[in-house]
Amino acid sequence: MANARALDKRRKSIRNIRKITRTMELIATARYKKSMDRAHAATAYTNQITKIVSRLAAAGLDVKHPLLEKREVTEHARVLVLSSNRGLCGGYNGNILRTAVPAIRQLRETVEDCPVDVSGKRGLNGLKFRRIKTADAYLNFEDQPAFAEVEKIADKYLSMYITGELDRLDVVYTRFISTSRQQAIVETLLPLGSLDMDSEEEEQSGVNAEYEFLPSAESILEEVVPTSFKVRLFKCFLDAAVSEQVARMIAMKGATENAGDMIKQLSMTYNRARQSQITGEIMEIIGGVEALEG
Amino acid sequence: MSIRCVVVTPERTEFDREADSVVLPMYDGELGVLNGRAPFIGRLGFGTLRLQTAAGPERYFIDGGFAQVEKDVVNVVTSRAVPVDLLDSEEAQASLEKAFEMPSVTPEQAELKETAIRRARGQLRASR
Repeated sequence: MANARALDKRRKSIRNIRKITRTMELIATARYKKSMDRAHAATAYTNQITKIVSRLAAAGLDVKHPLLEKREVTEHARVLVLSSNRGLCGGYNGNILRTAVPAIRQLRETVEDCPVDVSGKRGLNGLKFRRIKTADAYLNFEDQPAFAEVEKIADKYLSMYITGELDRLDVVYTRFISTSRQQAIVETLLPLGSLDMDSEEEEQSGVNAEYEFLPSAESILEEVVPTSFKVRLFKCFLDAAVSEQVARMIAMKGATENAGDMIKQLSMTYNRARQSQITGEIMEIIGGVEALEG
Repeated sequence: MSIRCVVVTPERTEFDREADSVVLPMYDGELGVLNGRAPFIGRLGFGTLRLQTAAGPERYFIDGGFAQVEKDVVNVVTSRAVPVDLLDSEEAQASLEKAFEMPSVTPEQAELKETAIRRARGQLRASR
């Protein structure tokens, strides 16, 4: 039987760890709610953009833009990997890297020039460990990515794409499907392909209002396409942030529960050890008394 | 009679309020909207959005985007809307100087540069 005192010590330290993981779970829950609210707030914007696009299409405008068309030869590709800055979030970063690494390898087979950009320390270290060189690293994104920050990155990619330094941009991120389901996926953001957003709602206002386009429908289209790229990239960041918090919440919940189970087990062993210690002592005393009598 | 002005940015709905008149900074000049304006969709430039409300005039810097007017509701979709008082004119001056130094060898680069200059100028004008 193990030493009762050592067992007690261990039980105490597990109790302390449980306190920490429970607190982390609570923090992650609060952050998750906050980032979820932000993701909801962003839909107001995407809905408006979708509306404008549908109005443009309704006006009979041919939706054509250099950002929408696939280039014949892809010479310069780029991959952006969105991971988290902190660990202790279960399989979140592992899933991202497991999706990103084969995607990068596959792309590099066909395209020679293919730098990799990373957001988040965990992804940076993970790729370094897998011997994949990274170009740019963004470490400034926490649980609430700011649009101004994302816009800077988007502007950089856009200008690279327009000037011909970039033909394809893939983003690896965790898509938030529901609280119980997040999926690491690879999405090609440039060329955009189509202007459809995921939150497409066919709204039939009934009124077929005749819209004026100022200065012209073409000019508006010219602006809509880059904007929708920026919004999509922003949505990737938002999704990644929400998914990270969910993953952390679940991981910490599991840790707290496991700590509880462990404490139960240890308590049992501890009680048994204590009892057998006491029994041993009593036996010794009885033995001593009998020796004196004899 | 008043019109509703809704300003939406990707991060949140900046504000949603009633106004007597709205002046939009369009791509090619300012455009005033009063009650009963015919519906339109327009491209915004970099400039000041002016509202005439019951509480007094309000001014915001708008960073490009779109405006949609329908049934006395003005929807402004922009990446940034900042009250003019919060703008820093020195910062705007610095970004203008930075924009001037951008390369313009190819037509694409020239276009990017022009946009950067227009944006910085709009910001500078709004901050004064």
